[in-house]
Amino acid sequence: MIKGITFLAQAFSWLAVVVTLGAIFLFLGFLGVRGLDTLNLALFFGQTSPWEAITAQLPVWHGIWPACVGTVVLVLLSSLLAIPLGLASGIYLAQYAGGSWKKWFSLAVELLAAIPSIVMGLFGFALILFLRKTLAPQANTCLLLSAACLALLVLPYLILMTQTTLEALPGELRLVGLSLGFTPWQNLVQVLLPLAGRGILSGVILAVGRAAEDTAVILLTGVVANAGLPAGILDKYEALPFHIFYLAAEARSEAELSQGFGAALILLILTGALFLGAYYLQSTLSKAWDQKKLVI
Amino acid sequence: MGPKETGDLEPTVKVAGLRVGFAGREVLHDLNAEFYRGRVAVILGRSGSGKTTFLRALNRINDCFPGSATRGSIKLKLQGEWRDIDGDAVPLTELRRRVGLVFQTPHLLPGSIADNLALPVKLVLGLPRRDIPAKVAWALKEAHLWEEVQDRLDAPAHTLSGGQQQRLCLARLLALEPEILLVDEPTASLDFRSSQKVEELLLSLKDRYTIIAVSHSLSQARRLADAALIFRDGSVVQRLSREDLQAPDTLQTLLEEIF
Repeated sequence: MIKGITFLAQAFSWLAVVVTLGAIFLFLGFLGVRGLDTLNLALFFGQTSPWEAITAQLPVWHGIWPACVGTVVLVLLSSLLAIPLGLASGIYLAQYAGGSWKKWFSLAVELLAAIPSIVMGLFGFALILFLRKTLAPQANTCLLLSAACLALLVLPYLILMTQTTLEALPGELRLVGLSLGFTPWQNLVQVLLPLAGRGILSGVILAVGRAAEDTAVILLTGVVANAGLPAGILDKYEALPFHIFYLAAEARSEAELSQGFGAALILLILTGALFLGAYYLQSTLSKAWDQKKLVI
Repeated sequence: MGPKETGDLEPTVKVAGLRVGFAGREVLHDLNAEFYRGRVAVILGRSGSGKTTFLRALNRINDCFPGSATRGSIKLKLQGEWRDIDGDAVPLTELRRRVGLVFQTPHLLPGSIADNLALPVKLVLGLPRRDIPAKVAWALKEAHLWEEVQDRLDAPAHTLSGGQQQRLCLARLLALEPEILLVDEPTASLDFRSSQKVEELLLSLKDRYTIIAVSHSLSQARRLADAALIFRDGSVVQRLSREDLQAPDTLQTLLEEIF
C-alpha cells in the first residue's frame, strides 16, 4: 500500500517537472519561431538610422526603440520610488513595529498585495481626474503617474521579502551586534542587512520584473501607442508590454503581428537580462560580504 | 560563595534580589550572588532553569526581548568604580562592551576573520584605522588563535572550524577590552579536542577577568570552576566551592539531585 502511494507520488512529481519544463520550452519555442526572424535593426528603428534614433535627432516610426526606452525609464523610475519605501517599511515591520500596530500594518500590506493591477490603474486614472477637478487642472496621465502606480503595485513584494528575510535570521544572531555594544542602528546596517542581503535582493528582482511586464496599470495611466521617446516624466510614453498588447489587438498586417512577437522576445530578453544581472550582483555581493574589507 | 571560599578577594559583581520575567511569567526569583575577578564561576542546572536568562541580565541583553521585566539590583565594579547597571547610569553600549557575552553557538559577523574583530573595534572603541591591525593581532593571540589564522586573516570567517569560530568570538570580545566575560555553554557544539582548547583559554584568562560560565557538564565544571552555583527553576539551590566540586561524593549527589 505504502509502496503504491510512494510510486504514485514519485510519478506525479516527475510528471509535474516534465509538464512545467515542457510548457516553458513550448512557450520559448513558439516565441522563437514566430519572433526570431524579425530580430533585426528595423524592428528597433524602422526606417530611421540607428544613430539618429539613439541620439534622438529623428523620430522612429514602426520601430520598438521608443517602447524599449520607455520601459527602461518606467522601471527605473518606479524602482526609485518603490525600493527605498519598501525596504524601509520591511525593516520597520521586522525590527521596530510591535503589538497590534504591527498586525494592522501587515494586514494593510497584504491587502495591497491582493489588489489587481487593473484596479491600481483605475486608481491612478481616478487620481488624475480628481486632481484636474481640484488642485491641478492641467494634470494628465503621464510617465510619473504610471511609475507611481507601479511602485504601489510592487511595494508589497519588497516589504514582505525584506520583513520575512530579516525575521528569519536566527534569534541569537540578531543579538550579536547588540551584545558587542553596537547601537541598534549599527547592528541593523552592519550585521542584519548584510546577512539578509540575498533575500532582500530577491524581493527587488521580483519587484523589478513585475514592474517591467505589467500592462494593466500603464494602460490607464499614460502609455500610448505612438509617443516617440519620452520627452519628460510628465509626458506620455511608449512601453513594450503595451506595444505588444496593441499589436496583438490591432495589427493591420502579418508584418505588424510578427513585430509583436519580436517585441515580446525583446521584452523576454530584457527581463531575462535583468534577472541575470541581479543574479550576478547577488553572487558578487555575497562574495564581497564574505571577504569585505570594510575596515582594514 | 562565602568568605571562606573567597579569601580576601573583593567581589566585582553583586546581584541582589534579582527577578526577571517575560510577558508576566517570572523566570528568575529573588536571586542573590557575588562574583570575583580571578575566579571562574560556573552555573549548572537543567535546561530551562534560568541560567542563560541570568547571564543575559548581567549585560541587559534581556531588555532586547519585548515584554521582559527585570527587577532587583545588579552592581558591577567597572574601571574600579561600583556602577548600578539599572537605568541610564551606564550607557547600554558601554555596559555591553565591558560585559562581553559568548553565545552557545558561535555567531559570526559578515565578512572575513579580520573583519570580525576590526568592525567592533572600529564601531565600539572608535579606534583609528592605523591602530586596528595591531589590536586584531593582539586579540587573536589572546584567544590562542593567531598561529592558526595569521596567514588567512582575509579569508571568510565561516571557513574556520566550530572551535576556531568560538575562539574567534572570544577574541572579538577581548578586543573590546571587557572586564567581565559571560560565557554561555561555549563548548555545547564542539568536539572534545576543541572543547579542551576553549577551556584552556578560559583558564588562561581568569586572572584578568571576572568569568561567569554556564555549563551543562559537571565534569567541565570540575575542571573550570572555582565556585559553582546550582540553578533550579529560577533559583539558586546550592553553592559549591572548588573543594566541594572535587569531592567524589558530591558528583554522585549532584547527579542524583540536580540532573
